[in-house]
Amino acid sequence: MIVAEQKPLEEIQRMIAPYEKVLILGCGTCMTVCGAGGEREVSFLHSALRLAQARTGSNTHQFSEYTVKRQCDPEFMALIADRAREVDAILSLGCGIGVQVAAEHFPDTPVLPGVNTSFMGTITELGVWDERCAACGDCRLAETAGICPITRCTKGILNGPCAGTKNGKCEANKDIDCAWILIYERLERLGQLEKMRRYYPPRNFRTIPRPRRLVNLVKADMEEGNG
Amino acid sequence: MPASNFPVSRKASFDDSLMPPCQIACPLHMEIGEYVDLIAQGRVMEALQVIRSGNPFPAICAYVCTHPCEDTCRRGQVDHPIAIRALKRFAIEFGGDRMIQEEARTTYSEKVAVVGSGPAGLAAAYYLRKLGYPVTIFEAHSALGGMLRVGIPQYRLPREVLDIEVQRLTQMGVEIRTNTRVVSLDLLFELGYKAVFITVGAHQGLRLGIEGEESPGVVDGATFLREVNLGFQPSVGTSVAAVGGGNVAIDAARTALRLGAKEVKILYRRTRAEMPADPAEIEQALEEGVEICFLVAPIKITRENKRLRVTCIRFELGETDASGRPRPVPIQGSEFDMEFDTLITAIGQAPRIPEDFHLRIGKGSTIQVDPVTLLTNRPGVFAGGDAVTGPATVTQALAAGRQAAQRIDEYLRHKYPLPQKEKPPIAKDLLPKTIEVIRKAHRLEPERLAPQERVQGFRPIELIYDWQSAVDEARRCLRCGMGAEILFQDRCATCLNCLRVCPYHVPYLDENGTIQIPADQCQACGICVAECPAQAIVLRKPRDRRYIDEELHHVFSTAKQSGFRPLIVSFACQYGLFGTGTLSGLWKEAQASISIVPVLCVATVEPEHILRAFEMGAEGVFVAGCGEQCAREDTHFWVRQRVEKVRRALGQMGLEPERIQAFNVRVKEEDPVQRLHQFTEQIGQLYLAAVLAQEVKM
Ligand SMILES: Cc1cc2nc3c(=O)[nH]c(=O)nc-3n(C[C@H](O)[C@H](O)[C@H](O)COP(=O)(O)OP(=O)(O)OC[C@H]3O[C@@H](n4cnc5c(N)ncnc54)[C@H](O)[C@@H]3O)c2cc1C
Ligand code: SF4
Repeated sequence: MIVAEQKPLEEIQRMIAPYEKVLILGCGTCMTVCGAGGEREVSFLHSALRLAQARTGSNTHQFSEYTVKRQCDPEFMALIADRAREVDAILSLGCGIGVQVAAEHFPDTPVLPGVNTSFMGTITELGVWDERCAACGDCRLAETAGICPITRCTKGILNGPCAGTKNGKCEANKDIDCAWILIYERLERLGQLEKMRRYYPPRNFRTIPRPRRLVNLVKADMEEGNG
Repeated sequence: MPASNFPVSRKASFDDSLMPPCQIACPLHMEIGEYVDLIAQGRVMEALQVIRSGNPFPAICAYVCTHPCEDTCRRGQVDHPIAIRALKRFAIEFGGDRMIQEEARTTYSEKVAVVGSGPAGLAAAYYLRKLGYPVTIFEAHSALGGMLRVGIPQYRLPREVLDIEVQRLTQMGVEIRTNTRVVSLDLLFELGYKAVFITVGAHQGLRLGIEGEESPGVVDGATFLREVNLGFQPSVGTSVAAVGGGNVAIDAARTALRLGAKEVKILYRRTRAEMPADPAEIEQALEEGVEICFLVAPIKITRENKRLRVTCIRFELGETDASGRPRPVPIQGSEFDMEFDTLITAIGQAPRIPEDFHLRIGKGSTIQVDPVTLLTNRPGVFAGGDAVTGPATVTQALAAGRQAAQRIDEYLRHKYPLPQKEKPPIAKDLLPKTIEVIRKAHRLEPERLAPQERVQGFRPIELIYDWQSAVDEARRCLRCGMGAEILFQDRCATCLNCLRVCPYHVPYLDENGTIQIPADQCQACGICVAECPAQAIVLRKPRDRRYIDEELHHVFSTAKQSGFRPLIVSFACQYGLFGTGTLSGLWKEAQASISIVPVLCVATVEPEHILRAFEMGAEGVFVAGCGEQCAREDTHFWVRQRVEKVRRALGQMGLEPERIQAFNVRVKEEDPVQRLHQFTEQIGQLYLAAVLAQEVKM
């Protein structure tokens, strides 16, 4: 799941400063689950912005709020077309994808990000989220016992551990488990320690063509179809 | 700030609560959960309203009801059932029941006759008057009440309680004919009555069927109690035996003690486990000095020298009989003699229906009726109460009376009997894992007179709770059926927060990956409601999800009128000290205007609520929990989370985070008064500083 956190209030206030009518747009999927931009956060931010405005004695903004099921699909954006038309800007509490889908869908409306999209990860305990995947496009988890060194090793090294590992912790941050020790322990448990002894050549991240695209549909071939 | 600015995302009116076991067990289906909860909040007058709306004579039930509700109370699965009857008594006394006046207007011309003035007859008369019918009660005795008057001893039901209810009936315009035994129903119809309700009770004592039963000094329980209750002061001598194991035997024995008997024995042919009498009453009888001889019954009575020689035989328990109890089997050769001055037989009663009524009689000499319509074999003649069921209870009789009134109305108005619409029940028991995490709390009983004082006379023996004990006892209620439900399924992102935050581990993922919150386990704490990021969960009871914004608006419009500043808003636990209103004493001298928003539990206060209070003009907010009284351990944890979140937001706006505080009342080390005073002082200073800054600017 995509994990994000809401931006500080000051930053949001600065972003929306030029706009009178602002729609706070929540997302009912990842942003709800990670507590950054679901129904509850939308209404909390709404209250906070109104209160902040009331405190300064100004009356510049008019806020409205709405939460769609998912901001990363244009069809959901179609559902809020009327609401969007009435405002000067949309403050999206969707992840970076949601912000962009909204921007594409409403070409004439500024869309502002209300959250900092942080990473892809999981909940490890109530209220704690940890990164798990870097979306590198070339998954090697089979060799590393299901533990991703790219995201979980501070240095992202493919042939670890480095000399800095100490008592199972990372030298860069003693609160973080050394990913390569975790990998070692799990390989040992699985009886696959030989995987530790292999050398994995470095990967060339520059070869990843950005933006990436996936096509998962056979395009109808006119010639063949007609022939 | 106009109200429309607040997103009203929750429907306020629907009630999805389920029927709790106590309400199902109550023959009147009283809204027990509702009034117990109101008592827990200290809202005793409202509790009384709820009680009176479900029971025509609650003051009577508050003394003598056999409380089947308590037997099914699910708190009993945790520790002990809620003392529902005693709480009702508290609400009656403190809610001002004596002041209540009843009114009724006559809207129909069809007269209805009620034969018998026991609880069934009185209830029918009450509801028929409410419906607008002219009603006449015919009673053979000189006073109304049936067994309430002539059966139940006064130390359990003071007669003034009954008198008040009877007087209300008179106020309502019920015509009363005492000393009038009805012998023919035809006569009633000739007199112009269009419908008749027969509630003649079951007053005929069953006979032991043994030799010597006719001897002077042998009397049946119902007759004995009737004589005492009608003031005949029968002399019982110094040693008395009561035969039987039910409430009548116990009442007879205890009454005999009060008449001066020195030695009173109950002879029962089974053991204590099988005794149908209320365990609490058995206990009280023993305390007062009644001796119970188990596995013993008389087989012959001989009268010698003005005393009774009672030959008894001992029993042992055999196989289970039709009543589900082990059959007592006499032990051959175990006969022995005992001597008494009086022997009271109390092995049951049966109705005696005059033959001229021409009613179809069934098992146990009871009147046969259609269970739905209560109609007998004669058109326009309905029957209910002990006369139909055999000896039962006051509440059952009241329920029959209420049902009869409704059926008679349908009959006279030519309406089709309406099916009752009822809520689905909470049927399942609590799971062991739920029970484990529920905080245990002892049942509090109202005090009673000491046994030696009790036997001096017929004074009522049970005292009333003091205010705090009643509130504490009522707070033990588990709020069955009022729990959380996912109202907006489409919003649920299956984030699993509810599953993670529930202190009782109630929500679970079903095999389809859908989250379920089983209503029969939920304790209605509301924590998941406040933690659901999709705001998809609500509590089933409208009052519990009372829209806090509405409450805030109310608070602010009142505060505006008073104009007193600075304004402090308190989200306070609706139970305990705060709820009962005693807190007002705490801030008598407070230099601020403090408004309370009562909440189900402080763990249900959402950050948005706190922010909104500031937005509406509060200078400070405090969240006041009930502390040690709380049903849960982790309430404070949740309050901290919410408070910190709001503090962060306030800080970002340049507002002092100290403007919001959380504390508890009823915690030993903490003095809420002091905390509150410090807080108001602090807010006062902040307010003053802000006002000065404003003036400087201008
Ligand atoms: C000693 C004792 C203690 C009890 N304690 C409790 C208790 O603690 N809690 C509880 O819930 N229940 C108790 N009960 C049971 C309860 O009192 C009865 O179930 C209830 O009173 C039945 O009500 P009813 O209206 O059907 O009949 P009753 O209360 O029996 O009333 C019938 C009335 O009809 C009158 N009547 C009879 N024939 C005629 C006629 N032909 N014309 C005019 N009037 C007539 C009778 O005089 C009587 O007043 C007790 C019963 C007894 C005997
Ligand atoms: S209301 Fe409380 S007890 Fe019920 S499911 Fe939610 S958190 Fe659990």
